Amino acid sequence: MERGRLMLRLAFRNLRRQARRSLLTAAAMVIGGGLLIFSVSLGDGTHEDWIESGVRMGSGHIAIQAPEYAVSRKIEDRLSTQSVAAAREGLRSPDIAESVLEVVPRLTTGGLASSPMGARPVEVVGVDPVAEAGFSTLDERVVEGRYLEPDDRLAAYVGAELTEGLELRIGSRMVLTAQDAEGEISGQLVRVVGIFGTGIPEIDQRIVHIPLQTAGTWLRAEGAVTTVAVLVDRSRAVKRTAHHLEDELAAPIAAGDLAVLTWQEAMPELDAIVKVDDLGNYMFQGITFGIIALAIVNTILMSVLYRHREFGVLQALGFTPGQTGALVMAEGVVLTVLSGLLGIGLGLFVTWFFWRDGLDISFTWQEDWTFSGVVLDPVIVPLFRAARVIQGLLFILFVGTLASLYPAYRATRIDVAEAMKFER
Amino acid sequence: MTDTRSVTSSAETPTDRAAVRTDEVWKVFLQGPEGVQAVRGVTLAIERGEFVAMAGPSGSGKTTLLNLIGGLTRPTRGHVWVAGHDVAGMSARALAHMRLQQVGFVFQAYNLLPVLTAFENAELPLLMLGVEEGERNERVHELFERTGLTGLEDRRPGKLSGGQQQRVAIIRAVASRPALVLADEPTANLDSATSASLLEMMEELNRETHTTFVFATHDPQVMERARRLIRLVDGRIDSDES
Repeated sequence: MERGRLMLRLAFRNLRRQARRSLLTAAAMVIGGGLLIFSVSLGDGTHEDWIESGVRMGSGHIAIQAPEYAVSRKIEDRLSTQSVAAAREGLRSPDIAESVLEVVPRLTTGGLASSPMGARPVEVVGVDPVAEAGFSTLDERVVEGRYLEPDDRLAAYVGAELTEGLELRIGSRMVLTAQDAEGEISGQLVRVVGIFGTGIPEIDQRIVHIPLQTAGTWLRAEGAVTTVAVLVDRSRAVKRTAHHLEDELAAPIAAGDLAVLTWQEAMPELDAIVKVDDLGNYMFQGITFGIIALAIVNTILMSVLYRHREFGVLQALGFTPGQTGALVMAEGVVLTVLSGLLGIGLGLFVTWFFWRDGLDISFTWQEDWTFSGVVLDPVIVPLFRAARVIQGLLFILFVGTLASLYPAYRATRIDVAEAMKFER
Repeated sequence: MTDTRSVTSSAETPTDRAAVRTDEVWKVFLQGPEGVQAVRGVTLAIERGEFVAMAGPSGSGKTTLLNLIGGLTRPTRGHVWVAGHDVAGMSARALAHMRLQQVGFVFQAYNLLPVLTAFENAELPLLMLGVEEGERNERVHELFERTGLTGLEDRRPGKLSGGQQQRVAIIRAVASRPALVLADEPTANLDSATSASLLEMMEELNRETHTTFVFATHDPQVMERARRLIRLVDGRIDSDES
């Protein structure tokens, strides 16, 4: 204990003794730590925004579907009325209900939309207009007309690019043709009540929303849905909620009636993009801290070389080589911890500053940026996560410890008699 | 000049009561094609409580012999025993423990740690030995008082005169009550009055505590006060007088 205190005292005082060198290294560490926390928070905020946009446009954080539907996308692989009821019951269980924000049923099928001007392949989604408006952001993307309403029967809400191709306007009629639940080709006349534009070509060209009841009748699948899409309060709660849901729905899952998919499983492209972006961020942070580690190595190694004689004296007085190395390590770790904490403080301050109004990077944008069914928001709001701060601190500590290892090793290898001759 | 090597050359019984014993010890530094033979086959024994000076011209091997005795360097050949421990065969860690428990060092350049106060420097070996705080304070304060350094405890070495720094270094060397104090040119940077007072202090400690003092020195004052004078020439003992 006393020896530990002595080591720390010596470490603090030696760092203060070379104040300028220590401060320069600490400054690099503070900036690096700040950058680490801010960039991680910004990255997490961006990813949360991507995921939020992706899941609202797509099948939610969690999708409950028939096991085969994810691959076949055919209406015969739909959820039965009983499965839908079981899923809704499962979502009401106490462990899950607190995380669930929205639940929407969807009956989706691939088909053809035709007008006197031609035909286009489409994905027809039967929706509950009220629930869907609270779930998806598609209703906010109206460019003309309106979104579906509860009383609508033969109404359609279509993408702008589809209306251009089929020369449709508000009030125009079009025929939707698809294979129904009994395998027959069936048509449904609908009237365009609203046109949307997301900027995402695959959505604006293909998606058609019609009332769920209309879709059920047309496709001879009344009461059935292909997907129960679930939105939870945080993307981080997805795995836990999905796990609880799987427990709740163990019986229908075991019977092969339904499957619970997380957004990562339902939208693997988005998951891959998030992971690749994370990897890029980690590499950038790794390079930054690699450079900072070199600065620490330089500071501590210079200190070891400068104090060669002093280390010789300590060993002559009875310090073991290991204790001499530990003293050097203590200097590196003290420098790292102090500057790392300051850096994290700086990072948290910057994160807080941009958290209030977000970081607006719209000046770099010419038009809407989209990918993989996600519309990018030019205002990035950093996301604070305590676990990330702890990870950041541990990472900084790891870098500091690693960077101190070589100078510490050098200190243990001192030839005491030679060191005593060493003149500064 | 009496060569007493024959008297002290018997080193076959390393567990005897000698504070230091060397047996045909050689130190060759790898420098040039043949190396430099700094110590050449020195055999000697220093009994507990002796006050010994090793004198000789520069390059005679006295500092190297002192380093060999203190375990700061390893012999190329031969053996060195300190308080019965074979220094040559010890690991670096065991040597450090041996130095901590058995040996105190006083250097020409004082070698106090600049980041510690005079008191902290003096108590360093006690702290490393795990001596309890109360006893540490008592021992160090007593030595400060005895050496006339009371009031200077909180000063850093840079704020002390050369003589004061060397007194602190001596306190550091003796505070842990080692069996042996090795002093390498302890008076070389001091004026004669300060040297005399320091030597007097070390003589007193030697008399009272029976701590063995071994000096490597050029200083006639040290040689005069030493009760045994070993002269080295070209790495060998030229004379050994009591």
